[in-house]
Amino acid sequence: MRDWRRVKERIFLAVTSILAMVAVAPLFHIIASVAIRGGGVLYRAGLDFLTSQPAPPGSSMLGGIGPALLGTLWLALLTSAIGIPLSVLTAVFIVEFKDHPLARLAKVFTSSLLEIPTVLIGMLVFLTIVSMMGHYSLLAGSIALAIVMLPYTVSYVERAMEEVPRTYREAGYSIGMTRSQVVFDVVMGIARRGVAAGVVIGLAKIVSETAPLLFTIGSARSSYPMSMKDVFEPGDAVPLLIFQFAQTPYQNWQDLAWGAALILTVIVLALFAAMKLIVREVHL
Amino acid sequence: MDNTGKMPAGDRRLFYSLAPAAVISMGILVVMTVLFIYYSIPAVRVYGAKLITTSTWSPSEYGEPSYGLLIPILGTLISSIIAVVIALPLALSAVFFTEEVLPRSMGSVRSAFASLIEAMTGIPTIVYGLWGLMVLSPFLRDNVYQPLYRYLGFIPLFSCEPVTGSTILTAGILLSIMITPFIYAVVRQSYNQVPRTYKEAILALGATRYEYARILFGMIKPAILAGALIGFGRAAGETVAVALVVGNTFNPPTCILSPSYTVSALIANQFANAPLYPYMVNVLVLGGLILLVLGIISNILGVMYLARVRYVA
Repeated sequence: MRDWRRVKERIFLAVTSILAMVAVAPLFHIIASVAIRGGGVLYRAGLDFLTSQPAPPGSSMLGGIGPALLGTLWLALLTSAIGIPLSVLTAVFIVEFKDHPLARLAKVFTSSLLEIPTVLIGMLVFLTIVSMMGHYSLLAGSIALAIVMLPYTVSYVERAMEEVPRTYREAGYSIGMTRSQVVFDVVMGIARRGVAAGVVIGLAKIVSETAPLLFTIGSARSSYPMSMKDVFEPGDAVPLLIFQFAQTPYQNWQDLAWGAALILTVIVLALFAAMKLIVREVHL
Repeated sequence: MDNTGKMPAGDRRLFYSLAPAAVISMGILVVMTVLFIYYSIPAVRVYGAKLITTSTWSPSEYGEPSYGLLIPILGTLISSIIAVVIALPLALSAVFFTEEVLPRSMGSVRSAFASLIEAMTGIPTIVYGLWGLMVLSPFLRDNVYQPLYRYLGFIPLFSCEPVTGSTILTAGILLSIMITPFIYAVVRQSYNQVPRTYKEAILALGATRYEYARILFGMIKPAILAGALIGFGRAAGETVAVALVVGNTFNPPTCILSPSYTVSALIANQFANAPLYPYMVNVLVLGGLILLVLGIISNILGVMYLARVRYVA
């Protein structure tokens, strides 16, 4: 009797250990695939990969993802310009006026955005901004991405501000500071690492997002956005290029997709690592 | 209760300068919901219940197009259910492995394993999709689907010949990989909230680790259910990765070895050109509304179940 229980325990431990390994195995396989296939492509294309345009489909040349990479940089920049102030100010409002009904509504509604498939945010921007402007643009894509960023950054900034001990606020008031001075000079100053972490995690989320860009930026695969004026024109982005090139039957475009996947993975993992570093050094 | 009137002047100034940001932020979801309902109404008015009970999808620029979302809706449900069914045992095993199998003295191995799983949420979904399309689906077709069809083809689920690796089952498997870390995070958090004294009491009774696991997972059953629901919501809304591996064909997903469609993949593939066809935008927005409702409901239920995990230590 007792033996059977021990046998069962053994089997159970073996099965759970194997399943736990199965759960993480894809991570290694994905990273290895991207590193090997993408690395090979990057090696073949050289530095041109980062600057030139994709070669014509089916040709033996590779070309590069220059326009898409530049587009992704512009998107990150513009999304930050729209998304960071909006998220930070919303978070400050939610923390500072917690008891006000508007703050409670804002908290519930922004955190719900996290549960919404991001493709719907693309639809929303298509139905509003894109149809108003009459064409796709990097700006429309940035607005969609800013909405994607919002719930992540709001919740991080909120948490960072909540963690600042009350005594710091009281010290601020006691030397005659106004509410906004206390909020922006004292609380934000102390919570700045948390705020930075929130911004970085928001950026990490948005640079890898594809679905919100499907119906917002168009895929202007050969234009290099250079000035603010180009923001109102269609553009391209790295994840969108991967999505579209992966579905083509052309070997050189599939190769470009693998190379682009390597670049994207490196960018995102670097942002996550930066976030971890920022968070680790929070001491209060 | 509005108490802006009672605030000091400085506070009120701060309130009114921040309020616009808060109003914009909360307005997004409100505008989305209202707009989606507004756009869906014409579709419902013209096609009625046929939209979700029929499965013909023949858009045409002239004449009478007909739209039925039955296949994509079934595809979304079936692929998400497959994903949860596969992901749940993986996530639970991973939780048990981190917390109980790895000894307490190996703290750094434990946290390394946990961060590996966490890192899976960081991999861009498009990279999952690319890997799923180029690596996972050819592998599954040759090593899993062909044998399944050959030897178990008499079961209706496996009764169609797997021509491509892009099928509803591939979508489910890829989704299961993607949602495992989310279920893991939800379950692990609850697992760690079980008071130590409970765990010690179980072990003091002489339970084997199998019996221990059964009792502990039984205690956090609501959290497991919550994890499954949250994972389901994620799977149902996932778009680009699924669009790459589901096959994008209007086949009924009753045989899981055939290419099919999901609502999100249908939107991803057809929404950009939808304005060319009468009512197609409206029908696809209705599909979006269904996803919106599915996402919010599964999340609300999940959070409700999570709140049920309470201990008296």
